[in-house]
Amino acid sequence: MTPETLSRHLNDNLTALRSGSLAGDEVSQLSRLSGGANNETWRLNWGDTPLVLRRRPFSADSIASLEGNILGLSLVDEAEVIRLAMATEVPVPAIHAVFDADHPIGEAFLMGFIPGESIPQRWLADDAFEAARASLAFQCGEALAGIHAIDCTQLPESIRPTTLDNRFAAAQKRLHAFGDISPVMQFGLNWLIDGAPDNAPCVLLHGDFRTGNLLINDKGLAGVLDWELAHQGPAEEDLGYLCANVWRFGHLDRPVGGFGHYDDLIAGYASIAGWTPELRSIRYWEIFAAFSWGLVCQTMGALWHSGNGDVERAAVSRRRSEAELDILLLIEEWDDE
Amino acid sequence: MSEESDPTTQSDVTSAELLGAVKRFLMEDVLPAVSGRDQFNARIAANVLGIIEREQVLNPALQALDRKAAQKWLSDRESTEDIPQQLARALAAKSISADPNFIEYLKTRQLLVAAINNPRYASRAVAEARWG
Repeated sequence: MTPETLSRHLNDNLTALRSGSLAGDEVSQLSRLSGGANNETWRLNWGDTPLVLRRRPFSADSIASLEGNILGLSLVDEAEVIRLAMATEVPVPAIHAVFDADHPIGEAFLMGFIPGESIPQRWLADDAFEAARASLAFQCGEALAGIHAIDCTQLPESIRPTTLDNRFAAAQKRLHAFGDISPVMQFGLNWLIDGAPDNAPCVLLHGDFRTGNLLINDKGLAGVLDWELAHQGPAEEDLGYLCANVWRFGHLDRPVGGFGHYDDLIAGYASIAGWTPELRSIRYWEIFAAFSWGLVCQTMGALWHSGNGDVERAAVSRRRSEAELDILLLIEEWDDE
Repeated sequence: MSEESDPTTQSDVTSAELLGAVKRFLMEDVLPAVSGRDQFNARIAANVLGIIEREQVLNPALQALDRKAAQKWLSDRESTEDIPQQLARALAAKSISADPNFIEYLKTRQLLVAAINNPRYASRAVAEARWG
């Protein structure tokens, strides 16, 4: 969709919101932000109010060999989860409007703009963010504990409780559907199954809580974005995911997201949750996160083959080798620890 | 004076050189001329050419390694095609076990694959130091 068409549709639809919380009469400065392999992100102004539109440009269940939506939640359900998080202490953007797939705009939602830096290469290294980085691991622990306390009975129907066994079976099915191209991915899945923790109580997980999906200002955590992979599972899963090598953006000596240390993350979590997650358990979920990243890369390759996506998506498929390398490294470390 | 001593100019261009020429075109001509998403993708496209460049160099070593693995772990197989796929399926079926020798092969193989796809990935330096 061209910016002109999108702008026209937004003008038609935002007029209805004028009487509500949003003052304004015209869309201006509509521009697409780079990044984001699944969804488009657009910045715009509605009158004087800066807004962000998150939009899915294609049907997400377009791979014939796989059932259901392989990219996680619909944007409609994602908006619903963000609304639930809004009622907690977790910093999230306000949801102003939601459009389903039949709408001329396409599947999308419109949210408030939170000032802050999201691009990891900027805030991970810049001295201006030094104080922010120092308190961020603790804050992430607090935020995750807040998310995990959300009442699961309030969730959209697509976020059902499930068992680890079911998830392993789904992962195996996906490896088969993608042609069993990687012995390391299969080795990783076998290892994860053999070492799986006993079924822990399910909580709501953000599912993609990591450097790159967080907004940072000079005080630390300003916003938690990208809720499309929200699902139910053991609490430690979100903690391990944040610590995965691939999301440290090169800063391997800072295990929490490339900026912090395990002790601070765990202390922040315990301060809200009232119990202390174990490091060994977090490490298991780091290996799971490496495997998950590999599956995402394979999914991107499959989506590209089915005619959805540009050169970025084709290129991301090759980043599977990062996941494979980490699976081998982390399992070796697990055995040595 | 023989003809051989006259100065000559090379007239063939190898595939590696063609890739280099396209890469320079993307970085020096396309990148400054576009903006936003196109600029982002032009950079990605130049990186993709790097993957192809490295794959041309390293693929023979990768294939040799896979053939050796096939002899060890897929002795009754009929085809030399898709060795990684056959190994992945054998692991899924538990018809081969991931013993230390097999894991050693996976690690050696992964160093090559990582060098092709993303040599700057931070974990690669760690892996090279441990297994290289």
